[in-house]
Amino acid sequence: MSRETGIVKSEPQPMAQSAERPAVAPPCDIYENADEILVVADVPGAVPETIEINLDKNELSITARRELPAVEGSLLAAEHRDRDFRRRFAVPGGIDANRITADLRDGVLTLHLPKSEALKPRQIAVRAG
Amino acid sequence: MLTRWNTGWSDFDEMFAAMNQLRTYMDRLFEEAWGGRLFGDRPQLYGAGTWPRANLIDTGSSLVLTAEVPGLSDKDIQITLNQEVLTLSGERKVQVPEGYSVHRQERPAVRFSRSFALPCRVDADRTTATVKNGILTVTLEKAADVMPRRIAVKAST
Repeated sequence: MSRETGIVKSEPQPMAQSAERPAVAPPCDIYENADEILVVADVPGAVPETIEINLDKNELSITARRELPAVEGSLLAAEHRDRDFRRRFAVPGGIDANRITADLRDGVLTLHLPKSEALKPRQIAVRAG
Repeated sequence: MLTRWNTGWSDFDEMFAAMNQLRTYMDRLFEEAWGGRLFGDRPQLYGAGTWPRANLIDTGSSLVLTAEVPGLSDKDIQITLNQEVLTLSGERKVQVPEGYSVHRQERPAVRFSRSFALPCRVDADRTTATVKNGILTVTLEKAADVMPRRIAVKAST
């Protein structure tokens, strides 16, 4: 028995595969003073070896890969999972890329972006004529 | 707020657990399905909402709770165990560093207290907690009398 159903079999379309691991945006604080811009990000579970900080022209990108402590057993509840952190910011030009420093403490990343001399505020002396 | 997890141990807990589950799923959906960009271009930030986020793992002989506590050291976290209820509490202060102006502040200053109904009794004396890289790990050894016991079968003569 053959019947025309009008339904055409189609090959399943592969979902767009991202080469990157799933990532979430970490909350960040941004502060500035005369000498530097300070970026503070919450990256719980990240270790210094897996944090990548790139400054490409005016774009600062922070990527932190993390692995949660591996515990064998059945998961009764999961509110957090292995997710990488990824965030990009546009930063003003004039950051001295060679002097950028970063430190990680208790899962909080602190990034110091020092301003180059040209960008620092300058006091203009007023002379009496 | 007391978090009850659906572990199949108690029928009464199941409704509460189901609501928790729904909330967790919704959080995850917003976070992942739309790449965290459901509303406009502003990314949904990780870590907003339930604080701290926690996992509970049953390893057989113990229960292991892991929680994300960025910025907190061992002195900032209080853990109490009352019967089968585990409570994490503490405070995270966020201070503007001296002499800096603020461009953006997304990291929440939180005072938290979160209680978890554990699925079984645990031995309070053998409970340990460590915090490393912003992840708190609490290991709760199950009480001896809730552990499965092998019953020997004797042939009757």
